[in-house]
Amino acid sequence: MIWMTWRQFRTPALTTGALLLALMGGLALTWAEVTDLATQTGYTGCQGDACLAAGDAFLQALQPGWASEFHLAAIAALYLLPALVGIFWGAPLVARELESGTYRMVFSQSVSRDRWLLVKLAVGGGAAALGAGLLSLMLTRWAQPIDGASADRMNPLVFAARGIVPVGYAALAFMVGVTTGLLLRRTLAAMAVTLLVIVGLQIAAPFVVRPWLAQPVVTVSPLDVDGRYGISMSPDTGRMTLQVEQDRRGDWVVSSTTITSTGAEFNGPADMTQCGPDAPRHRETCPRWLEKQNLRQEVTYVPGSKFWTLQWREFGVLFALTAVLSLFSLWWIRRRLV
Amino acid sequence: MTSALVADSLTKRYGRRTALKDCTLDIPAGHVVGLVGPNGAGKSTLLQLACGLLDPTAGRIEVLGTRPVSGSPRVGFVAQDTPVYAGLTVADHLRMGAHLNPSWDAALAEQRIAQVGLDPNQKAGKLSGGQRAQLALTVAAAKRPNLLLLDEPVAALDPLARRTFLQGLMELTAEQGMSIVMSSHLVADLERVCDYLIVLVASQVRVAGDVDDLLATHHRLVGQRRDTVDLGAGRALVEQSHTDVQSTLVVRSTAPIVDPSWQVDQLDLEDIVLAYMSGAAGNGPDRVLEGQR
Repeated sequence: MIWMTWRQFRTPALTTGALLLALMGGLALTWAEVTDLATQTGYTGCQGDACLAAGDAFLQALQPGWASEFHLAAIAALYLLPALVGIFWGAPLVARELESGTYRMVFSQSVSRDRWLLVKLAVGGGAAALGAGLLSLMLTRWAQPIDGASADRMNPLVFAARGIVPVGYAALAFMVGVTTGLLLRRTLAAMAVTLLVIVGLQIAAPFVVRPWLAQPVVTVSPLDVDGRYGISMSPDTGRMTLQVEQDRRGDWVVSSTTITSTGAEFNGPADMTQCGPDAPRHRETCPRWLEKQNLRQEVTYVPGSKFWTLQWREFGVLFALTAVLSLFSLWWIRRRLV
Repeated sequence: MTSALVADSLTKRYGRRTALKDCTLDIPAGHVVGLVGPNGAGKSTLLQLACGLLDPTAGRIEVLGTRPVSGSPRVGFVAQDTPVYAGLTVADHLRMGAHLNPSWDAALAEQRIAQVGLDPNQKAGKLSGGQRAQLALTVAAAKRPNLLLLDEPVAALDPLARRTFLQGLMELTAEQGMSIVMSSHLVADLERVCDYLIVLVASQVRVAGDVDDLLATHHRLVGQRRDTVDLGAGRALVEQSHTDVQSTLVVRSTAPIVDPSWQVDQLDLEDIVLAYMSGAAGNGPDRVLEGQR
């Protein structure tokens, strides 16, 4: 069965493998560039406050080179990989057999349906996880100085392209493809639905799932009216909102809202004589007026130290979903198919 | 005699559509059995139930004494339209058979491929219908099953490819001695290879028996028109048709018919099958007066 699986699987597997290898080759070639620049700019081995400036210099120095190109390409690849794996590995796995009728040939050999599917799931899912895992491992190592300097790895976009989470996405995407193919029995329809589901999942994860998994910390502090913030207001209605800049380096700020003393979100109305274009000395009067409103700033954030906890939790959820889909499709092919 | 396939009130429904209803039959082992019937009689469904591709909705089916499951090494199956993997070569198909069947007979497979003139390096998607059928038969046969099920294997083939295929099938049965059940809606295909025949109409067995017995015991009687016929004990009326002056009957009788008022003719297998297929359409007494055919 392993031979048969490999024989049917080798073309898409080798194509994807070649793409991954090209990217990993690019990372390997630029590895020296990243470490050299980190040393030259003094970021490597920096002490205390000097690190901030050295880190910025390091990131500046990286910008024009190949390294940043490959960095972006590798992140993009880790986002694209689940869609590719789901569409081209997963969806046709069963659907094409059903469509072309060849399932009747292979199920007439001396191999049971569940074993047939189990081997295919193990090989395909394993290869997807391995490919994503290798690229992610390499990228995480390669980008270590960059992540250190930018303190950006909790950024939702970067988070899913580091550590073990990509492994979970690749395996789950493969199973989503297989399951939709099994249920829809049409390769093209299964590919389309798989794409929708995977993209939906990738969008939903940072907005819905991850905040829920991360159990963010909520802090409420009095609004610092002399601090850094932006004001946006509409002169007609007096509606006013504040955008307070958060200096939470390395943390993921999920939300930051200005609230009134009752706990409701603050949105005006502003006193037009103190704030806004009609107020003559608005720069001085407005902060004073705001101070009287008794405003507080509520910040929901996930500390950067929880990076690996959150990685494992998200991976766990993805892995559990993958396992559920695997068991379901094994049950379906034995009990419900045709 | 042992049974290759036993069905008891076997029913298969797809949603509201009933593909096979209350089918009861017993197919003996050690024969090349032809399963013949009109389109929609349930032949395909019966064979797919027998190889475990389908699960029955109700009733019982036993193949070689056990409930069929797909993946059994004892049952081989060549599906309708003989599906093969278009992207795999002929040799790949044999390799697949070798990897997926512990009882694989590589020598038989290679010998058959050479015999029917298939190029091992050709992609199966480029084969003609006849070559594809030969490949599917080879894969099914080299598995060395005790029972080989073939679902309309020659339906899509031209007459020459049909003959080559049936020739190959006959050689296999002569050499391997496996039981074969083969469905078709064309008797001419079956006549050449089968020694046992089952006529299935609307899920019901109309007649089943050795081909030689069937040929020996069926007679066509032609005589003056009569509305009621008493054939006597041990004789059964299969089909009747009447014109204004003449009645034609198809009768099953073990004893020879000696009534001088009838002219008695022999029937060939196709006539017998057609008689059962049309006789099944409705057997009420009013048919005598309607004067059909």
